[in-house]
Amino acid sequence: MTGNVPDKSLPLLKVQNLSKFYGKNMGCHDINFELAEGEVIGVVGESGSGKSTLLKCIAGKINTTNGSVFFNSLYGFVDLCQCDELLLRQLTRTQIGYVTQNSVDGLRMNISAGGNIGERLMANGMRNYSQIRKIALEWLEKVEIETNRIDDLPTTFSGGMQQRLQIAANLVTDPKIILMDEPTSGLDVSVQARLIDVLRKLVSRLRLSMILVTHDLAVARMLSHRLYVMKEGKIVESGLSDQILDDPREPYTQLLVSSVLKP
Amino acid sequence: MEAVLKIINISKDFVLHHQDGTRLQVLDHFSMEFFPGKITLLNGPSGAGKSTLLRMIYAGYRTCRGNIMVKHKDHFVDMVQASPATIYDIRLHTIGYVSQFLRVVPRVSALDTVIEPLIQRGVSESKAREKGRQILRRLRIPENLWHLSATTFSGGEQQRINLARGFIASYPIMLLDEPTASLDPDNRDTVLNLIKEAVRSGSCVIGVFHNQGDQEKIGGRAVDMTRKYFHPTEVEH
Ligand SMILES: Nc1ncnc2c1ncn2[C@@H]1O[C@H](COP(=O)(O)OP(=O)(O)O)[C@@H](O)[C@H]1O
Ligand SMILES: [Mg+2]
Repeated sequence: MTGNVPDKSLPLLKVQNLSKFYGKNMGCHDINFELAEGEVIGVVGESGSGKSTLLKCIAGKINTTNGSVFFNSLYGFVDLCQCDELLLRQLTRTQIGYVTQNSVDGLRMNISAGGNIGERLMANGMRNYSQIRKIALEWLEKVEIETNRIDDLPTTFSGGMQQRLQIAANLVTDPKIILMDEPTSGLDVSVQARLIDVLRKLVSRLRLSMILVTHDLAVARMLSHRLYVMKEGKIVESGLSDQILDDPREPYTQLLVSSVLKP
Repeated sequence: MEAVLKIINISKDFVLHHQDGTRLQVLDHFSMEFFPGKITLLNGPSGAGKSTLLRMIYAGYRTCRGNIMVKHKDHFVDMVQASPATIYDIRLHTIGYVSQFLRVVPRVSALDTVIEPLIQRGVSESKAREKGRQILRRLRIPENLWHLSATTFSGGEQQRINLARGFIASYPIMLLDEPTASLDPDNRDTVLNLIKEAVRSGSCVIGVFHNQGDQEKIGGRAVDMTRKYFHPTEVEH
């Protein structure tokens, strides 16, 4: 593994003919798309349409049945579905962030907030305790968590704070891309607004790419450049966010958009 | 003079799948050219397709047929076929669009909302803020509101934030959808002046104005959008 510079002529991520079956049940089927550096795409659709499955495949959390997920990493254009376990772990620990829908899946509840942030740094070989603590404090600030909470367990945090802690714990290794699964679901509106604000700032400041899975079209519009609409495991329509939300073409998208008030 | 925008034979239908598959034809082989330093008024009753045309030029609505050639950084690009990255770049540098309503983002201050286009262009925070303050002052937004989110602003205030955001950066092409609709006379005049200044500095402005007085003050050529079809030779510049 040679440390290299990613090839700028290639997209950051290229998902090709990706399918995942759970037994006979389809999780997602024949998904194709590309994501550029600094670009945010939203994946929308009702629950059960395969959005989270797609995200888990990209995050390397589950084995795919078919297809490829090419990632333009420091080690070349790597197919995450084919590469060896060690490289996959290395990439998902450093260059790819994954924020799960339920914080219990994404955080370690029995170690402190600072510990959760520090863990990824230590997994990358950082050993200097005071340096790790300093970085953890900086990240708490960036995600608007009071720094005096650094030694508290995530179980003492509100839902919105847990989500922001997950974001900090993922971004601390400076990944190129962050995958977010329903980050705002189950949060109060004012708490959602704060999370969205934090995300918007981080994404633009760090030139992060993001795949945002959400069923909330207003959130999707606020954060995404482009949208993919999923239904029964397949992408039924895609385009710029305003094209999808203001000029939906497919019957399913029209239904989705018309069933909410002005997203 | 060379056009900065050439619309060639575009058509637009909406198919309403959940309303008996109703098909609305809004534009039918529409062609027109637009020139720098000139203003075009889109006229016609509500539903004529004025907003639709503006949104198609901005690629916020998709175009079923035809081409929308935009001069972007010295080359013509077809908005109908351009890649997402190209469209983002065109929206950043070449086409400005002021919609009828501000889309407020909670927790973002009015000033930050206004200066965002400059920040995205890489202008320094301090320079952008200075310009932001100038234009907010010009549009009579009281200073004590600048640091607040526009979520709680009145309709007229929101529209002025929207206009400040639209006019803080200059664009070769500006699309204005009823920008003066909810403004008092003083602010209306300010906006008309902003528009005239943009045109004088070479922008191509395409706008919808319902107020007869505004239309007369602005001047320019008028296009009747109740007609869905225009041949390029019909409309003089
Ligand atoms: N997103 C859309 N989906 C379906 N029909 C639309 C959509 N946008 C506009 N229309 C229809 O297209 C026609 C033109 O609308 P519009 O461009 O808003 O007119 P104007 O701006 O001149 O009032 C109207 O019949 C309107 O109902
Ligand atoms: Mg209109």
